[in-house]
Amino acid sequence: MTMYLFYFLAFLAILCGLMVILEKNPVHSVLYLIITFFALAGHYLLLNAQFLFIVQIMVYAGAIMVLFLFVIMLLNLNKETEPHKSNLVKFAAAISAGLLLVVLVAAMKGAETLPAPATTNADMGLVKNLGQVLFTQFLLPFETASLLFLAAMVGAVMLGKRDIK
Amino acid sequence: MKTLYILTALGVIAMLAEMFRFKKFLLPIVLIGLLGAIASSVKDWNTNIHYYNYMMTFDNFAILFTIVLCATAFLWFMMSQNFLDSDPIAIGSSKTDHYALVLFALCGGMIMVSYSNMVMLFLGIEILSIPMYVLAGSRKDSLSSNEASLKYFLMGAFATGFLLFGIALIYGATGTFDLKTLSYFISSSATVPTWKVSGAEPLLYAGILMMLIGLCFKISAVPFHFWAPDVYTGAPTPVTAFMATIVKTAAFAAFLRLFFTCFSGMGSVWMNTIWVLAALTILLGNITAVYQTSVKRMLAYSSISHAGYMLLAILAMNDHSLGSVLFYAAAYSVATIGAFTVLSIIENHQATRNQQPATVTFETLSGLAKQNKFLSFAMTISMLSLAGIPPLAGFFGKYYIFTSALQSGYVWLVLIAVLGSLIGVYYYFRIIIKMYSPSLTDLQAQPTAVEEKGELLSFAEVGWDLRIVLILTILLALLLGIFPDFIIRLI
Repeated sequence: MTMYLFYFLAFLAILCGLMVILEKNPVHSVLYLIITFFALAGHYLLLNAQFLFIVQIMVYAGAIMVLFLFVIMLLNLNKETEPHKSNLVKFAAAISAGLLLVVLVAAMKGAETLPAPATTNADMGLVKNLGQVLFTQFLLPFETASLLFLAAMVGAVMLGKRDIK
Repeated sequence: MKTLYILTALGVIAMLAEMFRFKKFLLPIVLIGLLGAIASSVKDWNTNIHYYNYMMTFDNFAILFTIVLCATAFLWFMMSQNFLDSDPIAIGSSKTDHYALVLFALCGGMIMVSYSNMVMLFLGIEILSIPMYVLAGSRKDSLSSNEASLKYFLMGAFATGFLLFGIALIYGATGTFDLKTLSYFISSSATVPTWKVSGAEPLLYAGILMMLIGLCFKISAVPFHFWAPDVYTGAPTPVTAFMATIVKTAAFAAFLRLFFTCFSGMGSVWMNTIWVLAALTILLGNITAVYQTSVKRMLAYSSISHAGYMLLAILAMNDHSLGSVLFYAAAYSVATIGAFTVLSIIENHQATRNQQPATVTFETLSGLAKQNKFLSFAMTISMLSLAGIPPLAGFFGKYYIFTSALQSGYVWLVLIAVLGSLIGVYYYFRIIIKMYSPSLTDLQAQPTAVEEKGELLSFAEVGWDLRIVLILTILLALLLGIFPDFIIRLI
């Protein structure tokens, strides 16, 4: 049952991911992206990572997507104003992306025989365990992230505020 | 670790300066703080302390690079404050924001030179990059500045994606973020670890390749360099100076730390790739620089080619690599700060006179030596050092890197690098020749031209702080060139 659910979610995620880039209308693209995010959240739930599941839905499918929609509406991107890339660029992009795909497929080929990670603990994704790891082993990165957000906030204020001459 | 606390505190103080009205004292506070940061990292010499479960390690490598970063930042703050204070085109945003962002970026740079966990590497790169995206666009009324910011942001986010994917793949293959555990996994061939038989190896290879792509973007190696010329040209000149020195030094230190200490046991996977990247970077960077008319754009391409030389040291992977990269980064930073200081003085002067943003071309520089001997001398020293002429610092930087590459048997690559630096000599000397040859107005030699010259750039117009920066860069270029052993022996 879990297996079928996994394949269904994976199929949904890949299909909607493709639709995001194939769809001409940007608003439709964003809607497909939301479905992709929900499918990924389903994967987290299958892995028993409940905290990530909720965060994925709240932050990505919720907050960030609303922001996306707002920006698209404000910029009025519905018109076809996008300049077309030259064929040479398209060709180069296709080749390099294809090479990347080859590398990834080759890397994933042997992955099915991977040993189970040492820390396979079915309850690892629960909020309690996650918090314990975050506040002991990964305390410094957790605190350093605040520096990142502070820098980003100062930057946003600087770009947003009106000039005083 | 104290160094990081000091830098973070300085950033917060800079943010508060506007509110509590001590903006005027901000520059001295920051300069003293930077000196304190240098002193506190010197105090940790030879201690090799780990912090918070091996998240960061302050070994001598980290301390030396921290000192180089802080010293470059010291020079940068002195050179830039004039332009933040009195920009005729209106810098667009207030000085305190610039200070805070630059100090936060410096914190990121410090994390990048001292991390020993890949999570910290990612955080350091982001803390360094996000202020740079904003600073590149800090001249809000200029279209090219906006373009630079957006381009840098989009490309940077894309490259970070690669880096993160690489980290995830490596975690998938080995189950660890820790560099020490990882290098143990990779190099311990005697006791075959479990992952080697299990078929996870390709996963690790792909991860290393992805991280290589992400880091090559940050150091702007060809073919991941397409953002660099536009961003360097579009960003305000002091910000470009910061990007060309501190960002590049930190990115190289991070690169070196990862590949030298961690992936060295798997050299066969990534060495050929870096060989090709280094050759391409040196050749393309130098050849394209020859065709530039704008001095700033030429310096952008030259900074790309310098990344190529430093890649040589990563490839060499012997005892001299660390020392030679450190020396090269220091020599290159000093010379670049000097060149950009002169460039921004001239730019500022032109902009004040014409009341519009100016681009300094090679023609603008012609006859500079006649107007201002000091500026042209400082520029000459910087150019000679960048070109690698003895007895300046740049020469010994190149010398150490080339010898360490030769010791590891990369004869062809060193030949390409020497060829590249010969091309480099051509375009660096073009600037010097332009400065010391008479300008077009001189050749027409009209009597009124003398009066006009009074408005041109005189020595008195160069502020005291800028004079000190230029004298310091000249002295450092000479001192590093005369006593190169002093730094090399430290690592």
